[in-house]
Amino acid sequence: MTIPTFILKNALRNKRRAILSISSVAASLFLLVTLQVALRELTLPPESAGAELRVAVRNRISLTNPLPVRQRSLIEKIPGVAAITPFTWFGGKYKNEGGMTFAQFAIDPKALGTVFAEAKMDMTGYQTFVAKKDSCVIGKITADKYGLKVGDRFSLDSTVYPGSLTFEVAGIYSGTPDDRNMLFRQDYLDDSIGMPGYVGMWWLKVTSPEAMPGVIATVEKTFANSSAEVKAESERAFQLGFISMLGNIRMLVASISTVVVFTLVLVAASTMSMSIRERFRELAVLKALGFRRRELFAFILAESFGLSAAGAVLGIGTAYVLYTYGNISQMTHGILISFEVTPRIIGFAALVAALLGIISAIAPAVAVTRMSVVQGLKTLD
Amino acid sequence: MASPENIVVIRDLTKRYSQGEIEVTALDRVSLEIATGEFLALMGPSGSGKSTLLHIIAGVDRPTSGECHVQGVDVARLNESQLADWRNQNIGFIFQTFNLIPVLTAAENVELPLLLTQLNRSQRRKQVAAALDLVGLSDRSHHLPRQLSGGQEQRVAIARALVTDPALIVADEPTGNLDSHSAQDVLTALQSLRRDAGKTIIMVTHDPKAAAFGTRQIHLEKGELS
Repeated sequence: MTIPTFILKNALRNKRRAILSISSVAASLFLLVTLQVALRELTLPPESAGAELRVAVRNRISLTNPLPVRQRSLIEKIPGVAAITPFTWFGGKYKNEGGMTFAQFAIDPKALGTVFAEAKMDMTGYQTFVAKKDSCVIGKITADKYGLKVGDRFSLDSTVYPGSLTFEVAGIYSGTPDDRNMLFRQDYLDDSIGMPGYVGMWWLKVTSPEAMPGVIATVEKTFANSSAEVKAESERAFQLGFISMLGNIRMLVASISTVVVFTLVLVAASTMSMSIRERFRELAVLKALGFRRRELFAFILAESFGLSAAGAVLGIGTAYVLYTYGNISQMTHGILISFEVTPRIIGFAALVAALLGIISAIAPAVAVTRMSVVQGLKTLD
Repeated sequence: MASPENIVVIRDLTKRYSQGEIEVTALDRVSLEIATGEFLALMGPSGSGKSTLLHIIAGVDRPTSGECHVQGVDVARLNESQLADWRNQNIGFIFQTFNLIPVLTAAENVELPLLLTQLNRSQRRKQVAAALDLVGLSDRSHHLPRQLSGGQEQRVAIARALVTDPALIVADEPTGNLDSHSAQDVLTALQSLRRDAGKTIIMVTHDPKAAAFGTRQIHLEKGELS
């Protein structure tokens, strides 16, 4: 027998309790990792290759307020602007599905080759999109999900505009961080049921990252004191601003995570206290045999740490395997595209597990080291 | 101080402790000498202070005043860490309730005190086998305590007490939880340890029949030797 064997035998002496303890740590850490990954995905959306050159221009009052089409010609003249496209939310429902299943935006079809150049699609599809007014292009994820192919026709009932529109799939794009959207032509929307003369917002492409601050300032200045004042910002700033509309998610997730960790500490500390309390006499005997305080402290710490570590391996490992190798898009019905368990999140969860092991061992370890042999022998005699 | 023949020398040993607001005198100026190789039976009624005296001699309790020299060492002057080392090297414990670790086999229980020594695994195994052989339990080395009878458990505890080859073995009511047959076996084992291995044994007991196995009997009454 060795000291590690002795510690292991003690830790597993009540197998049911050990399994339950490990499971509770594993479940809590799995939840913690899930929350942290979700928080990261929501607050740090993936950036596409062209993000550093894109500027979002929206109505200063609200994202839901439209902008007049006449702004386009003025923006195009601003030095540093390479391309521009309208970007109008359609809010269509696919077939009989209850809610909005994928986002649809009306754009200038040529923007696929300029503003959103990272979207990869075959040339035929692009040419069809440019040539045919009722055509659309669909992200690969959505196309796969609904089994849509080039040439298919389908209708969407808008929740924003009255009536519905029928589209023909011109192409299927991929290569963006979020290949779920459907893009169709602004002029088709204008001609059919939309509001001619208005768009949802503008996306610009600037000539260089250095030109961006100047473009943003000039765009805002150009429409200052007009009937449609605008707010221009980088894609990154726009995404973060959009996320902030969801509420203080960071605070919400942090609160839930804190409760999870706090509950976990209470459960683990209670389990360790019970486990050690039952063995007070045995620990007193070990003291009598010559084991010193620091050795008993180390035994208890190792036992507690071991249980936490086992729970951590199980909980963090399960989360890692599930979110890394599982199809998260399928699991969340397309709500989430990626769900990356980063080394930083793994490190954070492992740190929580380590602290848990230490904190839950402190009270029983201190009680044991303070206990005299005589007192310990009397406890259960 | 201890003469070479005396393994334990106690001078004016007093132990007081508080029980709520009442101060209890467990030992009152006790003086005692125990010769090397002696099998001392310490008798007395409950609360007479015999276990307290045993605990102080074994270095698990401290006196309020007085001196307790064991093998020339004043145990009261050692700090906690020194005392732990000293107990491991010099004292073998036998308890009334055996106090074996339930998740360890007989051999592993006996090996426990050796984990604190510098011995390697094979040396430890050799000593464990020898100790179990001495108490006649070689064939039970892989049994858990729950698979042993009370008498066998106590013999494992005896093997654990002598595996480090201590000079002094202290036994607190070692037959208190045993039937008469098993008690006889345990007492015979202790007797042979004194006779064949030259160990000094101090045994606390209520039982005059058990005390009769000792080479000397002393009585404590209200913390004083009578």
